Amino acid sequence: MSAIIKTENLDFAFQPGVKTLDQVSLSVPEGAIYGFLGPNGAGKTTTLRLLLGLLRNQHGTIELFGQDFSRNRIMILKKLGSLIEQPSLYGHLTARENLEIYRVIHQCAKSRIDEVLQIVGLENTGRKKARQFSLGMKQRLSIAVALVHEPELLLLDEPTNGLDPNGIIEVRELIKKLNREQHTTILVSSHILSEVEKMATHVGIIHHGKLLFQGTMAELQLMKKSNANLEIETSDNAKALALLQQAFAVQEVEGRILLPLNNREESAQANRILVQNGIDVYALHPQHSNLEQLFLDITSENK
Amino acid sequence: MSSFIHSLQSEFIKTKRSSSFWLSVIGALFIPVIFFLMYTFKADVFSKDMADMPWQKHFMRGWQSLSSFLLPMFAILTCSLVVQIEYKNNGWKQVFASPQPLGNIFFSKYLSIHGMIIFCIILFNVFMVICAVAVSLINSKYHFLHKPFNIVAIMKLSVKTYISILAIMAIQYWLSLRFKNFIAPIGIGLGLLITSLILLQWEHIDWVPYAYPILTFMKASPKNGQVLLPHELHSIIIFVVVTIAAFLDMKYRKERG
Repeated sequence: MSAIIKTENLDFAFQPGVKTLDQVSLSVPEGAIYGFLGPNGAGKTTTLRLLLGLLRNQHGTIELFGQDFSRNRIMILKKLGSLIEQPSLYGHLTARENLEIYRVIHQCAKSRIDEVLQIVGLENTGRKKARQFSLGMKQRLSIAVALVHEPELLLLDEPTNGLDPNGIIEVRELIKKLNREQHTTILVSSHILSEVEKMATHVGIIHHGKLLFQGTMAELQLMKKSNANLEIETSDNAKALALLQQAFAVQEVEGRILLPLNNREESAQANRILVQNGIDVYALHPQHSNLEQLFLDITSENK
Repeated sequence: MSSFIHSLQSEFIKTKRSSSFWLSVIGALFIPVIFFLMYTFKADVFSKDMADMPWQKHFMRGWQSLSSFLLPMFAILTCSLVVQIEYKNNGWKQVFASPQPLGNIFFSKYLSIHGMIIFCIILFNVFMVICAVAVSLINSKYHFLHKPFNIVAIMKLSVKTYISILAIMAIQYWLSLRFKNFIAPIGIGLGLLITSLILLQWEHIDWVPYAYPILTFMKASPKNGQVLLPHELHSIIIFVVVTIAAFLDMKYRKERG
């Protein structure tokens, strides 16, 4: 799979000396749903604005569809749809008129307007002006604007911001559907981990302007697994530790026994060893470090 | 070229039902409506005043108010309002992230503003004629319908006034693009307009852009009709220079949208 978005060592500073982005090298493969994860102020929007040419690139290279952005701006933007921060909608115009503006620029068929309105579920807003829309409707109309020219790549910056739980699910399903049916590559930024976990095939984690992790969801799961432990409480921790050390890479942390957990059978085996040696086992706690924990781990390491 | 037409089309959609569109209609209607009321309620005074050459007096009276204040003010407001459509709706980022050359973005908006000014000038003349005709139909003291109407003179004045307002439009367009807050360009424009009206007697008034429309009106005469007056030439020069500067300013700005 070739990379649709490829940046190398992107640096960006709004003020001299204060780096907003520090050596960010993104690689978004074709056909991926790339979850771009990071807390507020991590540099997600800045990265996306650089990708769209809304900020002047200061250092590093940006390639989209294998082409240098600064030299092929128009060609690249033709194949790209975007939604950055708050919706960019004209409040005095209807949903249809808002779409018409970009339909004219992209010169796509008139029927596309009905199609995208149907995709985002706004086909029945009639003469209602965009300013009278709820936040969720505005967000969906913005996605429709981004979709009007059937882009190969979608950049969505926090598309579920301000949506109610139902709206969040709808947007997530829409993203998956576009990816599945139209093979659209989608980069979606979020500060909510569970969100990304539910739809992404690839993940990039950014914090303080640095890309801390980048890889497939499976690679992330693997990392997650390597961080999983079984915590054991016994009547005699010292003896238990000595016994378990023969079979596992067990360690004692703050008076607790921690055993790296690879599969369920290992917990049964550890329990058997202890019981057979006359040690009472009070509790076996599997500690799954979920993505949330991992995210905290990764981001706090860097502080 | 076709892509520029598409950009222009998209700009026209944006001004639909917007305050800038209604401003050009109301701006053009304002003086004719006031005149209609004046002529109707003070028929004795005005019918006597306009007994001979009613059209000329009617139009000169109208253009005086238009050139000195209303049209420059309209240009100031229109530049701000059209650009504000983007600022107010967070539209810039979507515009700059769409596949349009920067020139299209800059000049399509600019052209739509010019279109509104031209629309307003034409509409004003039409409403002035309607006002005169209506008054004559209602009140027999007025003789508009029986007197010659010098349409060529009105067209000349309209074209020259448009030329004289080019400098103001370039400056205001640049200011409106620079300032996110729409009060700033309007405040600066209004301040400069009032200042230039105060300076009207100054010997170098030819170099004060905001005075150009009223200068064109004041110097309008049959013998001046053909050629460009010095201040009109200055207006064109300032228009070209400021427009290029404004475009380069947008092109090389670090942060867009």
